[in-house]
Amino acid sequence: METMIDIPPVIPGIFTLPPYDQTQPKLLGGVCPACHRYYFPRPRYCKGCLGQTEEIPLASKGVIYSFTVIRRKPPLGLPEPYSVGYVDLEESGLRVFSLLDPAAIAQLRIGLKVHLVVESLGHDGHGSPRLRPYFTPITGG
Amino acid sequence: MPSAAVIGIGMIPFGKHPDRSIVDMGAEAVFLALKDAGIRPAQVDACFFASGFAARLFGDITIGQNVFWELGINKVPVVNVENACTSGSTAFYLAYNMVAAGQADMVLVAGAEKLYVPELGLINSGENELDTQLGLVASAGFALRATRHMTEFGTTPQQLAQVAVKNRRHGQLNRLAQFREPITVEEVLASPMIVEPLTRLQCCPNADGAAAVIVCSPSIARKLSRAVNVEAAILCTGSYENPQDLTHWETDYRACGLAYDKAGIGPEDLDIVECHDAFTISEILHYEAMGLCPKGEGGKLVERGETALGGRIPVNVSGGLLSRGHPLGATGVAQIIEIVTQLRTEAGPRQVKGAKVGLAHCMGGDKAADTKSCTIIVLSV
Repeated sequence: METMIDIPPVIPGIFTLPPYDQTQPKLLGGVCPACHRYYFPRPRYCKGCLGQTEEIPLASKGVIYSFTVIRRKPPLGLPEPYSVGYVDLEESGLRVFSLLDPAAIAQLRIGLKVHLVVESLGHDGHGSPRLRPYFTPITGG
Repeated sequence: MPSAAVIGIGMIPFGKHPDRSIVDMGAEAVFLALKDAGIRPAQVDACFFASGFAARLFGDITIGQNVFWELGINKVPVVNVENACTSGSTAFYLAYNMVAAGQADMVLVAGAEKLYVPELGLINSGENELDTQLGLVASAGFALRATRHMTEFGTTPQQLAQVAVKNRRHGQLNRLAQFREPITVEEVLASPMIVEPLTRLQCCPNADGAAAVIVCSPSIARKLSRAVNVEAAILCTGSYENPQDLTHWETDYRACGLAYDKAGIGPEDLDIVECHDAFTISEILHYEAMGLCPKGEGGKLVERGETALGGRIPVNVSGGLLSRGHPLGATGVAQIIEIVTQLRTEAGPRQVKGAKVGLAHCMGGDKAADTKSCTIIVLSV
């Protein structure tokens, strides 16, 4: 049986890879060691000083800033319907675009506390499954 | 003193043209613009051709040369332009700057697109973009803004729908628009939900189409009675700062501000506006960026009828993208054509009386919660 470890990430280098034995999955952003700017996704160079950014795991928890539900013609094998939104991450304060849990659409609202999950979700455009990160409500959040 | 003028316009009806190629449609639009200006192909010093999706959908490149070849335009510089929804207005921006710099006296701008193709699906900002791979379709970017604007400012679904109703009412009066049947707020809200809260009738339809304009130097324009002055042509790219406030695009405000400064006018001086109403929420956000109303009050502005034909500042009297459809490369040019037509007082039943100053606004692409491209063209007579 195909396990999560066998499925490639939708884009390499944007989230920590399974197995997640001890830790939660995290998005991989960038930080400038000189001027401490945070980025997601990570650009090659810092726009403040043109220094090279370093990879940094970002907080796995955040709050929904906005969301929507796409009800027609889902691309990339995503479920119909599926949801996307912007999440304000703890610590870095970055506002990141992300998929939201398609199984939790009824619960979604602005201000909801969420945490990151990585699962096989959708495909690569050619039918091969891909790991995608998405945020899901924190129980009791 | 304006640096350039528009002296010719040409546009074919936007809609379904299954039997016509991009080149065929583009060539007709150019022909119409040449005839309108009363100039010969040999008088053209340079050409810009815009298409957003042609390379991707049909595998053709350097299509502009093929379009202009149909008219016998050769030897002169030809540049092909892609800048998402602003491809056409970006081509205009380049033509304007070429004339303003004194590098050419007569420059052709054409845009053409063919989007009625099978299996197009919801369009995005690039297949390999991270956001696209995470499920961002163009409509969702606007829906996320609508959700936020409704939450912060109390903008209602009815106000969103009123944008579609108004623009369709305008589109009824434009024989070049694709959709000309009137619609009601109830029909807009009852149409299928595409991306919450945007229903189908709040999303601009696809279209095949082409449009062309001719930009020339003031010395030539001075001799022509139907010339329209270009007071400003601005192109801005996003700041991509994080976090972005999704109740507006800072880039939108920045582009409008630069255009007003360049033209030496303010929003109160505008008589007519064409803006990028790709979705109903877009028009409301653009009202605010253009300074037609205070921030957060765009929904109320359309509700009061101030942006309808006969209102204080009519917006998208052509019917907008919502009625014309959105053939990407042609859209930015079509917006300029509407303003030129109005300033020439040749708009027939949809003429805005006494229109002297008009603004064409276009926006395209999505990156890092910002827009990739925003153009503002200010025209006057």
